[in-house]
Amino acid sequence: MSNKSLLLIVEDDEKICNFISAILTSNDYQIIRTARGKEAVSMAASYSPDLILLDLGLPDMDGVEVLRTIRQWSGIPIIVVSARGQEREKVEALDLGADDYLTKPFGTSELLARIRTGIRHSQKNVSVSFPESEKMTVGDLEINYQKRLVSMAGKEIHLTPIEYKIIVLLSKNTGKVLTHDFIMKETWGPYTNEIQALRVNMANIRRKLEINPAEPRYILTEVGVGYRMVEEI
Amino acid sequence: MKSQGGGGVQDIRARAAKKTGKLKIFFGYAPGVGKTYAMLDDARSQLKNRVDVVVGYLEPHTGSETIQLLDGLPALPPKTVKHKNHYRKEFDLDAALKRKPELLLVDVLAHSNADGMRNKKRYQDIEELLNAGIDVYTTVNVQHIESLRDLMQDITKVNEQDTIPDYMFDSADKVELIDIEPDELMKRYAEKKRPLSLESLRLLRETAMRKVTDRIVNENQNEQLLSAKTAGIKLLVCISSSPSAAKCIRWTARSAEAFHAPWTALYIEDMESRYFTEEEKKNVQENLDLAELLGAKIVTLNGHGLASIIAEYARLTGITNIIIGKSRNKKTLKTLFDPALEDKLIGLLPNIEIHIIPSSWPQRSYREPRRKRISQDLFLSWPDIWKTIGGLTGATLLSFGLRALEFGNQNIIMVYILSVFFISRLTMGYVYGITASVLSVLVFNFFFVSPLFTFYAIQTGYPVTFVIMLIVALITSTTTVRIQTQARLAAEREGRTELLYEINKRLLTTRGLQHIVTLTNEYIVKLFKCSAVFYTRDQYGSANLHRSSNHHGSSGILTQSPAEPDASFLLSERESKVAQWVFANQKQAGAGTDTHTEAGAYYMPIISQGDVLGVVGVTCLKGRLNRNNRLLLKMIISQVAMALERQYLSDEQRQILIESEKEKMRSNLLRAISHDLRTPLTGILGASSAILENGDHLDKETHIQLVSNIKEDSQWLIRMVENLLSVTRIKEGTMNVAKTFEAAEEIVAEAISRTRHRYPDRKIAVQVPEDLLLVPMDGKLIEQVLINLLENAVKHSPDDAVTAVRVTKAGAQAIFEVSDNGPGVAEEDFPYLFESYVPCGKRSSDSARGMGIGLSICMSIIKAHNGKMEAANKEQGGAVFRFTLPLEEENIYE
Repeated sequence: MSNKSLLLIVEDDEKICNFISAILTSNDYQIIRTARGKEAVSMAASYSPDLILLDLGLPDMDGVEVLRTIRQWSGIPIIVVSARGQEREKVEALDLGADDYLTKPFGTSELLARIRTGIRHSQKNVSVSFPESEKMTVGDLEINYQKRLVSMAGKEIHLTPIEYKIIVLLSKNTGKVLTHDFIMKETWGPYTNEIQALRVNMANIRRKLEINPAEPRYILTEVGVGYRMVEEI
Repeated sequence: MKSQGGGGVQDIRARAAKKTGKLKIFFGYAPGVGKTYAMLDDARSQLKNRVDVVVGYLEPHTGSETIQLLDGLPALPPKTVKHKNHYRKEFDLDAALKRKPELLLVDVLAHSNADGMRNKKRYQDIEELLNAGIDVYTTVNVQHIESLRDLMQDITKVNEQDTIPDYMFDSADKVELIDIEPDELMKRYAEKKRPLSLESLRLLRETAMRKVTDRIVNENQNEQLLSAKTAGIKLLVCISSSPSAAKCIRWTARSAEAFHAPWTALYIEDMESRYFTEEEKKNVQENLDLAELLGAKIVTLNGHGLASIIAEYARLTGITNIIIGKSRNKKTLKTLFDPALEDKLIGLLPNIEIHIIPSSWPQRSYREPRRKRISQDLFLSWPDIWKTIGGLTGATLLSFGLRALEFGNQNIIMVYILSVFFISRLTMGYVYGITASVLSVLVFNFFFVSPLFTFYAIQTGYPVTFVIMLIVALITSTTTVRIQTQARLAAEREGRTELLYEINKRLLTTRGLQHIVTLTNEYIVKLFKCSAVFYTRDQYGSANLHRSSNHHGSSGILTQSPAEPDASFLLSERESKVAQWVFANQKQAGAGTDTHTEAGAYYMPIISQGDVLGVVGVTCLKGRLNRNNRLLLKMIISQVAMALERQYLSDEQRQILIESEKEKMRSNLLRAISHDLRTPLTGILGASSAILENGDHLDKETHIQLVSNIKEDSQWLIRMVENLLSVTRIKEGTMNVAKTFEAAEEIVAEAISRTRHRYPDRKIAVQVPEDLLLVPMDGKLIEQVLINLLENAVKHSPDDAVTAVRVTKAGAQAIFEVSDNGPGVAEEDFPYLFESYVPCGKRSSDSARGMGIGLSICMSIIKAHNGKMEAANKEQGGAVFRFTLPLEEENIYE
């Protein structure tokens, strides 16, 4: 059935591959799988899947290399899977073009959520028919792009220009993680290193949006990686 | 990282095990007996046995047969060195050391090297080779042995300058005597024209054989026999400035050798020695050096009265034989009155044998020195002149008074004698006393002897009086000068001893390598008024001096003496090379020694227990350090050696402590891990096997229960693994972490969300400060700590309890608190809370599961952040776990 999305799973450990396939197939996805990086590149080219699940710890090739190669000619959403503790690897992959990441060991809900988000964002890119939306809503949060208005449960919230920029960036990528670097460069420009400023701004945004800044519901922190706005509360 | 402790100990062992090369001497009684031939022959057979043999140096004028033997032996090219005005070919020591063969041949052990070479004598080169582990063959003639020099001179009528010290011969591993009949040798000479008579050859042969026999007898002697035979024999030789003392020294050396007895060379510094000419001082120094070279113990004493001092020393140290020289020179006034030294000694020491070695040196003129001596006594100074004049005037006035009181002239004479006495006491030197006595006689004559106011003395008896006054004055002055000198010398010695004591005291309390070094340098500068440089061993205890990373020179620590010109040249590459040599060879070098004489400073190694701990260099551009100063320096250095050793040992100890701490922690961790891993794994195995084997018989509920258990246990294992991984983030060596500024609220938020994920039904309340709190930390690790604490809280409190997390800022600290409403922590658990290892029996693994490792890892993490962690029970019930993190850090990077 052509409605089912095609997913490419690149994973060398058989057991993990097994259970991922089991979950995905039972959730109406079509699966193709390989355990080798080179094959992954060729399969991505020949099958043109809707999303790639890429394990970074591959035996024959560095997962990052696979990512780089594929990104040279395709914008297919790629979710990288890496072991816990390899923050730098994850950030590197994200900066090189991966769309999201999963940390081993992960639960099924996480997996499914990320895949859904990944596909959704790519479909947005694919289908031109969606015009630049006027506004977006998540839970009680509403952002009106045209009027440049942000409100929470109806009440307007005053944001500084930088804060607004950041929120817009996050809102256009709900569910997806954005690295510190990415946000900085999009907000301040390519030659800045304003991580302190970023944190301060995020803290301020949190205090304005969230009831308890230590229990954020809308904008989640991924320690060591970046920030993510939830798709739904 | 290499541990210093291990390195140091291994190094010491390695050095002890370092093989020194073996020396074989081919010994002959005259040139031409065939030493070089024998040496090359031996070398060739070694070559056949596949020994790595290289010819280091061969004397050019050897016979044709000898040269044939060279065939097949690899040879080092000689070094061409400019000596005086021509070029000489010399043995290239550095090339030999670089080549490092197993066996090296070096001809003519007693050769003196050309100027500009590192060592003055070739035997020193050989010593370096032996030290480096290279075996050496060499040749020596009997004439070149130092202690036999005088004997040889008598036989050959040649004063042999190139000699080797006896210890070099005695300590050789093998000595092969190359012997041929003197007639044969004479025949050989006919070809080469050597001027040695048959008689001298015979005598030389005898001496050579005797020397070798002595050696054999030595080797055969039993140790015990040795000590029994020589019990009590101790020799003493007195050193003077006369060059004939050298003969005495050599005689004593030979005798000491024959008796196997220890010997001392005694030098007495008295007043006269202060007035020695340069040449005399040099002679004394040379004699002392010679004695030391031949193996004597050197003692220097101060005082007056040669015989009494010698006698005192001999008595105190149990000397049995005294050797003195007899010169035929001193025919001064003194010797007419003084008995000869040997007579005095015999008188003082009736039980000691006295040997007199006549001197064969021609009479030397003493006129020149005496003039100098007198000029030294002229301590002309204004205060003393005033004292003299004042004294005399006073005496005169007093005498006038006395005369007025009808006291006779005899009393007045007394007054003048008294005044002369006082003047001698109060002034420095002979001059004033003598002048005063002469003047007082004249004045007395002038004022008090009739005819008055004239210089005539009519009455008989007055000339006698005058003479007596003169003698009194002379004796008093002499005594006074002597006493003053003694006092001055004593004060000097006192000062030095006091300084040494002070140094010792300071060194005892100084800690830290840097401090020891600066302290030593300061004292050296203060004491000798010379600049000093100090090199320490580098941190891996290897045979290298500490090199600083930013200049090419080495990092000796230099202290400049304010009185000296600029001594920064001491840190140059050249000078540090000399220091490096001293370090490697454990011998002194530099200005005034036989090695690296051209260096700008005098370098002394700091040795303790056979190990060189550092090198001290002293530069005296005003002139080299005299013997006394060198001795003093040696004494200071030995104190410094102890302090340095103490420092290194304590550093080692600290290192070992740290290592053992780490080991303990590691093994504790492993133990706890293996214990804690087994339980969840058992659960997983059990549940999964149950499902697989009995799957059909289980009802759905049980099925789900078992699978949930598997999931829970896996999650628990995941948590455990995460904890362990956290530990690896703590840097091994320094127990530190890489910190970045993180927002406290973000970390807390993530920790809470993960905990919520696992325990969705539990209530967690969180509170963070109003303002953004940025804390330097390793985000992942602190997150781990919070997760651990939260899990603990959740597990140990009832389902509906609230777990609270609070972050506050207090001054320069950030405080994190996790509290629960459970039963709290049991009293007996408190001491072991943060330990991963608990003495058995105290806890049941089930109830405390997860508490053991988790908390101890938390503690390690917090400690690595330089923070503190503690636990307490709340008053209202429940436990609170609190940790603090400092807000300021030095090493942060974005």
